[in-house]
Amino acid sequence: MSNILEVKNIHSFINQYHILQDVDFVVPQGSITVLLGRNGAGKTTTLKSILGLASVREGKVIFQGREVQGLQPFEIAALGIGFVPEHRAVFRDLSVEENLKIAERNKGDFEKKQEFIFELFPDLAKFLHLRGTELSGGQQQMLAIARALVADNSLLLIDEPSEGLAPVIIERMIEVINQLSQQSTVVLVEQNFLVASKLAEYFVIIEEGKSVLTGLMKDLEADKAMIQRYLGAA
Amino acid sequence: MTTNSNFLTRNRGILIFLAVMLIAPFLVGLMEGSSPATILNNAGSFSRFLEGLAIEIFIWAIFALSFDLLFGITGLLSFGHAMFFAVAAYLTGIALKTLQLPFWQVVLLVLLAAVLQALLFSLVLPRVKGITFTLVSLGFASVFHIIVMSSDMINLTGADVGLQGVPVPAFLNPTNERFRFYVIALVLLVATYIFYRRFVASPTGRVCVAIRENEGRAKMLGYNTTTFKIIAMIISSITASIAGMLHALYQPIISPSVADLGFTVTALLIVLIGGVGSLNGAIVGAFALRLVDFVLRRFVGGSASIITGAIYVVFVLFVPYGIIGTLRLRKLNTKAGWKEVLARITGKP
Amino acid sequence: MKTTIQKNSKSIIVLIVIAAFLFVAARGMSGKDVVITILRGFSVGSVTFLVAAGFSLIFGLLDVLNLAQGTSYMIGAYVGWTVYVRPDTFVDVLTPLLLILAGFSLSALWKRLASFVHLETKPKKIVAWLLIVVGLVLLGLLLARYPISSWDLNNYAESPISYSYMADQGLRIIPPEATFTEISPELAILGIFATSSLAAFGIALLNREDNQQNNADWRKYVAPAILFIFGILVALFNTQITNWMFTLSTNWLFLIAVAASILSGIGLGALMETTLIRPLYSRPIYQLMLTLGLGTIGVQIVQAVWGRPEFVWPKPELFTGTGGACPATNLTDLIENQCSTIMLLGGRVRVYDEIFIPIVGIIVLILVWTLLKRSRIGMIIRAGVQDRQMVEALGINVRRVFTLVFALGVGLAAFGGALAAPSAGLTSTMGEKLLLSALIALAIGGLTSFPGAALGSLLVGLIQQFMIKYGQIGIPLPFTDTVFKPSPALVPASTVLLMVIILLILPNGLLGKKE
Repeated sequence: MSNILEVKNIHSFINQYHILQDVDFVVPQGSITVLLGRNGAGKTTTLKSILGLASVREGKVIFQGREVQGLQPFEIAALGIGFVPEHRAVFRDLSVEENLKIAERNKGDFEKKQEFIFELFPDLAKFLHLRGTELSGGQQQMLAIARALVADNSLLLIDEPSEGLAPVIIERMIEVINQLSQQSTVVLVEQNFLVASKLAEYFVIIEEGKSVLTGLMKDLEADKAMIQRYLGAA
Repeated sequence: MTTNSNFLTRNRGILIFLAVMLIAPFLVGLMEGSSPATILNNAGSFSRFLEGLAIEIFIWAIFALSFDLLFGITGLLSFGHAMFFAVAAYLTGIALKTLQLPFWQVVLLVLLAAVLQALLFSLVLPRVKGITFTLVSLGFASVFHIIVMSSDMINLTGADVGLQGVPVPAFLNPTNERFRFYVIALVLLVATYIFYRRFVASPTGRVCVAIRENEGRAKMLGYNTTTFKIIAMIISSITASIAGMLHALYQPIISPSVADLGFTVTALLIVLIGGVGSLNGAIVGAFALRLVDFVLRRFVGGSASIITGAIYVVFVLFVPYGIIGTLRLRKLNTKAGWKEVLARITGKP
Repeated sequence: MKTTIQKNSKSIIVLIVIAAFLFVAARGMSGKDVVITILRGFSVGSVTFLVAAGFSLIFGLLDVLNLAQGTSYMIGAYVGWTVYVRPDTFVDVLTPLLLILAGFSLSALWKRLASFVHLETKPKKIVAWLLIVVGLVLLGLLLARYPISSWDLNNYAESPISYSYMADQGLRIIPPEATFTEISPELAILGIFATSSLAAFGIALLNREDNQQNNADWRKYVAPAILFIFGILVALFNTQITNWMFTLSTNWLFLIAVAASILSGIGLGALMETTLIRPLYSRPIYQLMLTLGLGTIGVQIVQAVWGRPEFVWPKPELFTGTGGACPATNLTDLIENQCSTIMLLGGRVRVYDEIFIPIVGIIVLILVWTLLKRSRIGMIIRAGVQDRQMVEALGINVRRVFTLVFALGVGLAAFGGALAAPSAGLTSTMGEKLLLSALIALAIGGLTSFPGAALGSLLVGLIQQFMIKYGQIGIPLPFTDTVFKPSPALVPASTVLLMVIILLILPNGLLGKKE
């Protein structure tokens, strides 16, 4: 199995702040990889660095065998990376339909994927003409994920999908992400260890801007001491 | 900064500046062959001319200082700053010419007007922030500019020609008492500068800096930021008014151009060239801008303002910290460099 | 529905108060005065709106308050005037302009060539700057020797004022043609292209090599080729085109002039955004200072080229008819005689100023509104206003949209200038005045709200015109015999007052988003 994404010893900055100081991991094709770590450890910045939204000053980001660090974010995204940011970032002045259509990279993308998306998220079909912010939190999260599916993305970066959602909806979310991973590779940031362990195959632990541990999720689950040490009470 | 270091060492730079500028007319006088006595009698020709140029620079510098206090220290970008200057200039002119008030009353009137204007601006301070404040200040100043320019007030303001024929009190007459005027303007500049330095170092001044850096945080620490902004506004307004008054006394014509947006831009330009928020940048910038402008007008003529504009754009793009700011960065780098060299020689970290 | 009313209760109350105020103001006037005043309010409002709309688009998406908008408005007016009154100058300028554009727009080729140059970073930089400086200096030398027939600011008979006067009298005499004296035409034309190419190549060298492989796309060479060919053609048929333009109906000429000013605005905007505004997105205050500085420089340049005195832009034939059934009383008369005025409710109304301008304003409002609401670009703009990074993360080149919006905004302002100039004349202070009105309109309506810009502009226009009207007829103060006549100075003062009051009640303006 080849690696779709390789993050090699990157150092990244947001404004003048040196946030990532040596993060290094690989993401195998077709897997779900979760980034774990405490608040402020640099998980979100890692996702942003992959997309070029945080500037990578050292190290390499290799996506499908091609170095992408230093490219403009839109160039990187257009190579086939979908991004579901923290707090959903649904566009509030756009209708649900427009929120999906804006993600088209080629004309007609949305029409092609429509059926698939509405099968995953039947709610969205119902509220197609509502404004983005008139949806509930869970629906907004669905919309944010659906938006990343409109274009053909081989890699999905999902930041905190379970944050602020009711347990029932979290269950649904887990199902959806599992279903998605059959078509594309998923890298997600997740605070909720339970959710992470239900989803992920591989994990990366980030601490103070460094990747300190990587491996198989099932090994980590077995090692309670390790969980305690890096993630606190989990 | 230690509080018990004495006045002389704390203000070494500006006091040296004061001394140099006090001696300069005599030195220039010696070079053109006139004795110190002739300088005191306002008779030297070239030194007289240079004194005149320097007076203009001092006035600009005082005005720019007042702008730097608002913009560079407190973080309030006002596009109506010229109004403080212009109101004082026109008020001085009208009070002396039309109302024929005694000089001390004129001074009181101007100071009163300064405080009133600051309070007028402060009216909107609690509600509007950032860019909207800039727009409101621009609005106020434009109204004043339009009123000054309007033909209804031509008897008072001279409309677009400007206010001329202001009877300046004899002891301040810039033609007969040029050297005295020069010294007064210089001392006012130095005094303002020293006062500003103290203000910025004072607890009140530090809150102003905090407001510039992060107003929300300053509020969270329990400071009523509006009060501090109003204080800065009043000080700035009074300072600008002093500059405006000097301008009215020194210039034969008070042109309505001192009330327009362009004059605020001049202050902005000076502060930008010198270094935003550095205070001494205002003085450096005033010298630089006035001299560049003078040279350009001499050799290029009409298109001088286009070149000044281009210089402005270059500074905005490439020298954002201004002369003083850039020098300070250099100094820090040099210091760090020396430390490194020393560490290498001694082998200690 | 109920919640929207509650949320905006303050805005609604303020609007009702203003409406009531205007209603009371209108009651003090005769019917025809009311009609004319309201129409003039719409007219001024439309022009203000064109500038304010550009403002709010740019500020909404880019967070840049473009204080050069007033100057863009003014440049639009002066460029349009030049095309309309001196088509020969326009044709003369066209050739060098097109050739320079051709040279610079061949960037795909220059980038490709630059990728063959393998040098260390430092020498490469030096070579690049050397090429740029040499190219631009040579270009300047060539341009200085390129013959352009023009006016003479120092000679009253050949000043813009005289040419305007002649055009107004219907005297359309072709001024003597400028000829090549110092250099040969071939050298000039090819030289301009070559030197601008040289500078463009230098710029291409400066750009860091992106690791994207440059696919040789022939489409990238079409635009420069067309520009180049057009430039050459205009040079070859210079006299013929000039003569043709002088015989053209002034209606068509007016359209060409307006199109030229819109294009110049768009070009200027694109140039400004890509070269000067772009490096400063991380320093917003400096952006503000930059646009302010550019605005002042622009005014100086306009004064240097067209002079300080005021002059007029004669209206096109369509709006100047005076014969037969004029002033028109019905639409057929108006269209048949192309009357300059029309009778409405007993008042004589100028067709261009009080009918045409408001109509254009409304059309632009609808067009831009449709663009925002219906097109993909509009969707990206609305999304980008909220969250730029997310839009970029979707694979959309937001930078290009930025440039487009900035160009569009400046283009709208230039359009406003060209539209207003035939009614208000051209002065070197026209930009500053309008900048103030537009800023006030924007602050009233809400800085980032596009409908807010329209509403604010309309309010500013109406209030200004009512004040002006009352300045003429006076307000009888109640219980006294004195009549108060607001002087012209109070007109802008009244709008500023309105702005301050509205901002005190609603810090985000009437339709602005609450933070």
